[in-house]
Amino acid sequence: MVRGRRAALLHAVLLITSLAMVFPLVWVFLTSFKTSQDIIRATPTLLPETWTLENYGKLTQTAPFVRFFLNSLLISGVSTVFIIITCSAAGFVFAKYRFRGKNLLLLLIISTILIPLQTYMIPLYLFTRWLGWINTYQGQIFPLIIMSSGIFFLRQNILSIPDELLDAARIDGASEFGVYGRIILPLTVSPLAAISIVNWVYTWSMFIWPLVVANTEDMFTMELGLMYFQRQFITEYGGIMAATVVTILPVLLVFLMFRTRIIDGVAYTGMKT
Amino acid sequence: MVPPDGSGFPSSTTATAAGVTVHVPARRRAGSLRALRRSQLAFLLWIFAPIIALFIIIRVIPIFVILLFSFTNYSITRPVWRWTGLANFERLWGDANFLSALWNSTEYVLVAVPAEVVLGLFFAVLLSRRVRFESFYETLYFLPYIIPMVPAAIIWKWIYAPGSFGLANFYLEALGFGRVGWLTEPKIALLAVIGMHVWKNLGFFVIVFLVGLKNIPADVKEAAAIDGASEWQTIRRVELPLLKPIILFGAVMATIWAWSAFTEVYIMTQGTDVSTGTEIAVLVFRIYQEAFRFYNMGYASAISFVLFVLSLLFVLFQFQLFRGWKEEGA
Repeated sequence: MVRGRRAALLHAVLLITSLAMVFPLVWVFLTSFKTSQDIIRATPTLLPETWTLENYGKLTQTAPFVRFFLNSLLISGVSTVFIIITCSAAGFVFAKYRFRGKNLLLLLIISTILIPLQTYMIPLYLFTRWLGWINTYQGQIFPLIIMSSGIFFLRQNILSIPDELLDAARIDGASEFGVYGRIILPLTVSPLAAISIVNWVYTWSMFIWPLVVANTEDMFTMELGLMYFQRQFITEYGGIMAATVVTILPVLLVFLMFRTRIIDGVAYTGMKT
Repeated sequence: MVPPDGSGFPSSTTATAAGVTVHVPARRRAGSLRALRRSQLAFLLWIFAPIIALFIIIRVIPIFVILLFSFTNYSITRPVWRWTGLANFERLWGDANFLSALWNSTEYVLVAVPAEVVLGLFFAVLLSRRVRFESFYETLYFLPYIIPMVPAAIIWKWIYAPGSFGLANFYLEALGFGRVGWLTEPKIALLAVIGMHVWKNLGFFVIVFLVGLKNIPADVKEAAAIDGASEWQTIRRVELPLLKPIILFGAVMATIWAWSAFTEVYIMTQGTDVSTGTEIAVLVFRIYQEAFRFYNMGYASAISFVLFVLSLLFVLFQFQLFRGWKEEGA
């Protein structure tokens, strides 16, 4: 433990910088409760002069934010269910099976971790179009059902499950599906939870893919809805603040609920795809 | 010796690959082995193969298609397309919009990557001194990283707002400086956006480096202390060199994210004087405009390909750089 004057200095540096990091978030939160005259005052104050909920009240009238919320929930939810299955099943095979070309395949998967969607979204878009999935939920979801870093992460975890355990089940007559369902899945709950939360946050925050695939308001995610909202109501300062807070809130709540798991998950999988 | 089941075969041998010895009649064992193989093949065929197929369709084929497209004049508004050879790439050289985007992206990488790695290391080292309330600070640093980019960019657009309610200008004036056109002057605008990008991602680097520092065995640090090394010497000579693989990982991630930056540029240039986006457009912004606004898929693919190659080169360069650091014996 650091003590004395050095500790005081250390804490001063940490406290000032960390508060500066969250200050923009605190500021937007407080501003969303201000009246519109209060917001554009020449000398802004941190706290609202009079607290008001009118900015939030107007939100659902000007844009279907409930619909945006449900769309985001559906897209990131379905994606996460897929991620759980694909990562654990592929991770199981990569950890416990032996066949020719396996390592090459794993190497291919690892090497795609570093390639961002932005570089190959054009063929993906044309493929989506060919499938007739533009402006649909399927179209928004399908690039998000494989997570390269998640497959690798699960493979590393499943490697530590002893072979004896799997063989005991096999000898008892369990099929591979049984081994997967009754041994692999229950024993990987914790890494699966980590990548699920990371994937949920990632898909929830996704912007460029919904931007090119979703065209009509009923297909918008929260990010997309917020973007159009702030563009359309450029002078509705209070409304934009309230909409921003509403968009941040779900992620913030999930983060505060699963703080350690998210931090660990992000540190080990690197987040993003 | 006759086995108890009287089959005439040795009754106890190793079943499957794992060395579990069980007593099963040889014929039944053979049968169950066959059943086991069949169910393993079924698992590979019905579960694993579709996953790999999806992976190849979503992640591998598009990358090759980008390369093919960049040699065509493909556009979804035009029914016929043809091979144009290197024409797209030749056009890139004369395209002022592309060249300025290329420069902007390069500046993005050159500013954001060192800033994120150095600041991330700085705070991670401070937090690794076993301070009290560590997880409290950790959470605060991490918070901007976890919130989505769109609201974050909108918040910063407001901080940078030209009027008096723009917080950045308000505080500048309070400190006795003049107002700055944060998002209206092209030279400043790009740096302002990069600053926001660094703020947003810093938490990731703090966490990753902190985890790495904590994984350094305590006895290594103690040994250095016993040898009379000061704390700063221990950090510089022992901890940072041991952290090298993690720093490399961090630098690679920072590079990829800087090259592929889009959302913050897109949001923060809307409705400002640079809203045409040419002054501070980055490569992904150009790709988006060419492909999804002007429908020049072929040309946009050529830009994508350049982006892909550039990020790859920068990542390889970093691996090289870090290898050099190792040979230096730091």
